[in-house]
Amino acid sequence: MVNNNNGSRRSNGSRTNSALGVNRRSFLRATGAGAVGTALAGCLGGGNGNGNGGGGVPDTVTIGALGPADSPMGDSILKSAELAVSEINDDGGIAGADVEVSTKDTKDQPGTTREVYQELTTGENVDATVGIFGSESLLSIMGNIAQQSTVHLTAGAATPEAPALVEENYDRNKYWFRVGPINSVFLGESQVQFAADRFEEMGWEKIAFLAEDYKWTEPITNDIQSQLEEEAGVEVTEVRRVAEGTEDFTPVYDQLESDEVDGAYTALAHTGTTALVQWAQQQRPFGFGGIHVPTQLPSFYEATQGAAISTFSQTTATANSEVTEKTVPYADAYQEEYDSLPVYTGYSAYDAVYMIKEAIEATESVNSDDLVSELEGMSYTGTGGNIEFFGPDGRFPHDVRYGADYAQGVYFQWQADESGEGHQRVLWPDDLEEAEYQSPPWA
Amino acid sequence: MSGQTQSDLKSWGDILNPVEMQRHQQVGLLGILSLFVLPLVIPAIYAIYLSSALFFATFVMSWDFVSGYTGEISFGHGLFFGVGGYTSGMLNLHMGLDPWIAAPLGAVAAGLAGLLIGFPSLRVKGPYFSLITLVTPIILISVFRFFPDLTGGELGLVSVGTVEKFSAIGPIPSPGFDPYSGYYLALFVFLFALVVFVAITRSDAGMVFTAIRADEISVAATGKNPAKFKLFAFVLSGLIGGLAGAMYGHSVGGFNVSELLALIISIEVIVAAILGGIGTITGAAIGGLFFYLLRVFLRNLEFTIPVVNVPVGEVYFLLFGIVTLGFLFYLPEGIVPRVVGEWRARSEPQAGEAVADGGKSRGERIVESWTDDLRELFGGERR
Amino acid sequence: MVSAITIATNVLMLGALYSLVAIGFTLIFGVGGVLNLSHGAIITVGAYSAYAVDAATGSIVLGAIAAAVISGAFSLALYKGLISKVRHNPVTVLILTLVVAIVVEQLMLVIFGGEELLVPQLLDGSITVLSDSIQLNRILVFVLSWVLIGGLFYFVNRTRTGKAILATSMSDKGAALVGIDSEQVYSYTWVLAGALAGLAGLFLASFQTANPLMGRNPLLLSFSIVVLGGLGSIRGSVIGAYLISFLDQMTIQFLSERLAGVSALVVLVLVLLIRPKGLFGRELVEE
Repeated sequence: MVNNNNGSRRSNGSRTNSALGVNRRSFLRATGAGAVGTALAGCLGGGNGNGNGGGGVPDTVTIGALGPADSPMGDSILKSAELAVSEINDDGGIAGADVEVSTKDTKDQPGTTREVYQELTTGENVDATVGIFGSESLLSIMGNIAQQSTVHLTAGAATPEAPALVEENYDRNKYWFRVGPINSVFLGESQVQFAADRFEEMGWEKIAFLAEDYKWTEPITNDIQSQLEEEAGVEVTEVRRVAEGTEDFTPVYDQLESDEVDGAYTALAHTGTTALVQWAQQQRPFGFGGIHVPTQLPSFYEATQGAAISTFSQTTATANSEVTEKTVPYADAYQEEYDSLPVYTGYSAYDAVYMIKEAIEATESVNSDDLVSELEGMSYTGTGGNIEFFGPDGRFPHDVRYGADYAQGVYFQWQADESGEGHQRVLWPDDLEEAEYQSPPWA
Repeated sequence: MSGQTQSDLKSWGDILNPVEMQRHQQVGLLGILSLFVLPLVIPAIYAIYLSSALFFATFVMSWDFVSGYTGEISFGHGLFFGVGGYTSGMLNLHMGLDPWIAAPLGAVAAGLAGLLIGFPSLRVKGPYFSLITLVTPIILISVFRFFPDLTGGELGLVSVGTVEKFSAIGPIPSPGFDPYSGYYLALFVFLFALVVFVAITRSDAGMVFTAIRADEISVAATGKNPAKFKLFAFVLSGLIGGLAGAMYGHSVGGFNVSELLALIISIEVIVAAILGGIGTITGAAIGGLFFYLLRVFLRNLEFTIPVVNVPVGEVYFLLFGIVTLGFLFYLPEGIVPRVVGEWRARSEPQAGEAVADGGKSRGERIVESWTDDLRELFGGERR
Repeated sequence: MVSAITIATNVLMLGALYSLVAIGFTLIFGVGGVLNLSHGAIITVGAYSAYAVDAATGSIVLGAIAAAVISGAFSLALYKGLISKVRHNPVTVLILTLVVAIVVEQLMLVIFGGEELLVPQLLDGSITVLSDSIQLNRILVFVLSWVLIGGLFYFVNRTRTGKAILATSMSDKGAALVGIDSEQVYSYTWVLAGALAGLAGLFLASFQTANPLMGRNPLLLSFSIVVLGGLGSIRGSVIGAYLISFLDQMTIQFLSERLAGVSALVVLVLVLLIRPKGLFGRELVEE
């Protein structure tokens, strides 16, 4: 490790959010620039800050969780990590050790994310971190993850740039893994697959693809038109990239309406709510859905006073879909504890904590390099599917594998029951299908 | 310092001689010295906080040098941090230039940006000029979005590839990887900016800047070209701001819009300068450090607000805003001028000097003349 | 290509909406010499007030009343509680209003969360004009905005209080000489500007959504508008607002969607460089 203070320190076990409690003694040896730090080579060669001294599990294992606390995505990450840790402690801890979780609010700002990440690692010397949400924030700390050589399991960001960095320099970036969601290249593949499996029965013969003009949608829109046409046999009138900050979708929908499309197939996150609300308020005569991040929130139907009706989206899992036998119990436990349902990032964060537990118990160590090799070979049945990572030479090193045998997510639709309450009902895949697609009530 | 009224101009040597200094200046020097030994006693995470705070304070000083002295309020100083940082980062990423070479080039690019922004200030008056500065970074962000392959768009340069951090030089570990080494690099940049800005503003040139702010025409009448001085101020502010942006980027690996170009950064810089005291450089430096560290402190406060039952950590930014409001309301002249003023009043009690402008602080006078310009231009009357 | 009808509806409605915001901004400056950087935040207050009241009562009409009343009251409280005490200290005013804006954003974020919230339309349904559908809500927003603008013109030019506001904006000393209580005029102006911005916030949210940062763009646009129209001029603000909304729609249609909003800023810079007095400067004085 660059900072030679780090080598011998163990988790102080405090669950504090503050760096004030950090053990100062170990820093007293530092005597300014000249004396600080070992040679750089020593730091990059895969040394690690956690229990380097021959492995072993400390009395307390500390896991750091990061996320923007004031957004539902971040909130679910932090709460799910806390939930998993409290369950693990009730069940005897990790290899007999107590588990602590230290949660940090990233504010979804890269600068803050980097700072709190350093608080967790340099300051509190946690054994692993989970969470993040937000590709800008994740990419901003990839360098720090490498530098700290502390295992990080991402929940939230879908950017394929992160595994590209692992591929580019494996030794440096190997401490990064992603539990979910599937990356945006796979999101595109998933949309083609869903279209091939369901569009015919949905009556979607002619569609327009609507993606927001952000970098994350580029891997999706690159090739989507020809793929949809070839593999799903639908007519694609246009692939439209909607500008960032678009506040008025009326002209877009006018165009779609005059083209007489059956549906707007979407890849929307930031501009998603505005797009959806205007679609519903204007009662456009076509369906709406695909990947739509806001509509994935279990509270979205109520929050939009039903405007979300009949919209559908890919997501990691829904609260009542039995993706695995762990999915529903997790959602129930979450609801019991926090009186709300988790959003998609929560499933991944929860699984991430358990995967760290499995890895530590299997290696009987919190040594990062040991954990990395263990995680690379791990096949873990979590709430979001059968989680396996690509190997160092895989297509997306250390990213979660996508497919029916791994994690493939579900497509759900907002449907109303007799009392008018909205439910996320699974449309796809076949084995989880709860309901058939319903057209918007006005169409 | 604010309100300093020595009429005899001193040479830089005199200015920097500790024995000649006034009490508050000696305290400042002591403060700087303590910054050098601080790493001996603080944990690494504090060195990380302080490095960021020092870079931020450098940003604030570069704003104060232009806006506090020439009176041209910049609402978009992030432009310089962004141009400096992104230029350096892209030179490294796309052309493989070593960060130690790319960073000064980034500073030069930001200096050029200073020249470009400075030119309109020669003919566009106060508030209009502020509007130009406000929108320029926003326009630049849109330009970045047009070239995502080069700039990474909204995900930042880090999404295009790995931008290198500073490498180690000889026995000194890399400032990009070692917190203490990074601290000393930040301290070096901070002190460099502080010395340059203080030396210039306390010298003849500084007198000219102050005079330009008060009355540009009189300055021209003395045979000095105010335009040249103004442009110089912009170029230097751009250079230093850009240097800090590039140095920060290669230290922490932060090359993204949110950290360098976003509107909120430009706003934070102004607020920090006001907290410390406008038009003093030292006030900006202290205000910048104070602002940054206060934010870290509030964020880390382990305390749940009663009644609403919200942890302070989650609402720190709100509290931070309220604390700032309190400061602005009860201490509008800024921390540094107030403290220095109190010291003066205590240590050298003398008959109040007649002050032409009724004793308003420098910052107040700047903005007042600025709003007066605005009213005049739009058809109101000067108050 | 989108039809001319859609573009025309958008220009007409958004121009009216921007006018509401810019008029308040320009009034406060003209009368009190205060550059109110929290004007955008009042839009946010209006939208969230309407949201909260509508959620509690189920009536968007009550929500609209709340948007006007709460925003007006907030604006007045802001003036009485903070600005009036430091009004003659412009540096503090500028920064105070800026920080107030940030505090309001953060407050909304803490209370309502960061997600976009749906505020119901004032009127559901749509009509079809030449095969293009136009939302009734948009038409209503357009009409209501113009009723407010017209009412404001009447108020300023025909009523005693309105004339006092106009007089104070021309010359507060002159106004004081003829016995106008300037403090009272300031208060009226802030309430008026606040209520207009609050309603604009509701209108905006009714066809978009509400989020904590929703006031930022309108504030920036207000800058562009009043520079085009001349600070302190009501008529100039309306003309400026229409110029800006027209320009924005043209850019979206004929150049690139990515330039939405930015084109106004570019033009702002150009206008400042070429004709810094704005296109309609000093109009208010001659009215």
